Amino acid sequence: MSIVTAILCGILYWLAEANLPFVGLWTLQRPLVCGFITGCFLGDPVTGAVVGATINLVYLGFISAGGSMPADMALAGVLGTAYAITGNLDANTALAIAVPLGLLGTIVWYLRMTIDSVFVHMGDKWVAEGKFNKLYLSNVILPQIFSAVICVIPCTLAAYFGADYIQSFIDLCAGKPLQIFQVIGGLMPALGIAITLQYIFKGEARIFLFLGFMIATVSGMSLIEQGILGLIAAVIYIQVTDSKKPAVAAAGAPAGAYDPDYDPDED
Amino acid sequence: MAKKEWKQRLIPKKALFRASMIWETWVQTCYNYERMMGMACAHTFLPVVKYLYPDNKEKQIDLMTREMEFFNVHPEFGSCILGLAISLEEEKAMGQDIPNEFITNIKTSLMGPLAGVGDTIWQGVIIPILLALCIDITRSGDGNIWGAIVYAVVMFLLTYIFSYANFMFGYNAGSDAIMDFLEKGILNKLLKAASIMGCMVMGGLIVNYVSVTCGLTIATSGAEFSLQESLFDAVLPNILPLGATLGVYGLLQKKWTSVKVILLMVVVGIIGGFFNILV
Repeated sequence: MSIVTAILCGILYWLAEANLPFVGLWTLQRPLVCGFITGCFLGDPVTGAVVGATINLVYLGFISAGGSMPADMALAGVLGTAYAITGNLDANTALAIAVPLGLLGTIVWYLRMTIDSVFVHMGDKWVAEGKFNKLYLSNVILPQIFSAVICVIPCTLAAYFGADYIQSFIDLCAGKPLQIFQVIGGLMPALGIAITLQYIFKGEARIFLFLGFMIATVSGMSLIEQGILGLIAAVIYIQVTDSKKPAVAAAGAPAGAYDPDYDPDED
Repeated sequence: MAKKEWKQRLIPKKALFRASMIWETWVQTCYNYERMMGMACAHTFLPVVKYLYPDNKEKQIDLMTREMEFFNVHPEFGSCILGLAISLEEEKAMGQDIPNEFITNIKTSLMGPLAGVGDTIWQGVIIPILLALCIDITRSGDGNIWGAIVYAVVMFLLTYIFSYANFMFGYNAGSDAIMDFLEKGILNKLLKAASIMGCMVMGGLIVNYVSVTCGLTIATSGAEFSLQESLFDAVLPNILPLGATLGVYGLLQKKWTSVKVILLMVVVGIIGGFFNILV
């Protein structure tokens, strides 16, 4: 990997991690997207997208709320893809290497969240003096210069030197260790799915997980087709449960009685 | 509640648009533990403050100082709070008697519920479903780049459009309408429908992307008996990936952190791989 490519990887990581612009948290930070862009830097966009997509499975439902960052998916996406392309790794091995790197990356996030308080006090001072335009300096420019320093440097170094050693490291691991990497890489998407299930595997929706599982096992349908089927199932389910409610309420009320407070949604 | 007449307002629509774009773009560029998004809040007021008190710097400083306070919300779902705060400040500047504490209180009382709803719907439902579909597009066949591009474009547009629409909703409709939305059944109905669709997609995802294969063989009177082929595949293919996923789900329900689960997977992978229990 050339030093220029490594610096580009570092800059990509900075933009993704430091929320510049904020929509980057929803787009650039996802390994699917930053893996694809890393692939473009290294001249192999398709491999980049595929490896990024595989790494992203682990981070499917990761939630960053209240300033917490459970794992640094941007670092895992950028470095995992870079190593996969330079070292000719298969996607599952890249995944098993990238995820522990992602855990290291959270240090950058917590460092930034802590140090950024300094700039708030600058902002306080400028607001008290009525220099509102300086908010661009305290809210965007200065904290982002700091973020650039703590993001670009480590990621560039890791991409540059890591790529040099990854090939010999993988050669060293040939055989049993590599098989273990693949086993771990195959297991890890279960985490991404399980985290998502925390939010949607509830109440009446539960049975549909097993329906989706059976359909995929038996039919070999693509996920898009299954998604559309899921949407249709959801609409049917809501319609059926909605049309039932007034009937139950009406049966409970005395026949013919007029109730001015009658509310079909009440119960 | 009717839309506000622009003629009777102090802030031109263009300035409101700029405020909403500042909020959505720079909301977390200086994210920090002390005030979270507090300074981004003040930054959002930058294009509008001069219209509220055109020639009273003292009052401008007062307003900006109170907007610097602690604030934290889900940026897209919470943008209505910013719209609402601007509309309240505007009414105050037009002479209505609104105490400063009222504006601060309404902001802090709305940020909790909207952050909860927003993080769950946005990061727990919309993103995982869209990601799952786009990951599948990317990995179909020999692989392609379209999943990544579709995901990025759709998410980018959704973020900005939703954030701006929600901002204007807060500005025009007021706090009662926001509470109404949070309490009405429509939100739950949407959430239930999305959960059903999400569960279907996750079921398919388990089959396609979680791989757990047992490598154990049992030697019985000369014949080799592979557990995977003769037992699991015969009963129900993919039963191991399903079991692994539900197992991890159970651990998370027991308040295991994801870091702990990752470490467990590494240990299971090393032991299982070393003894050929898992291949």
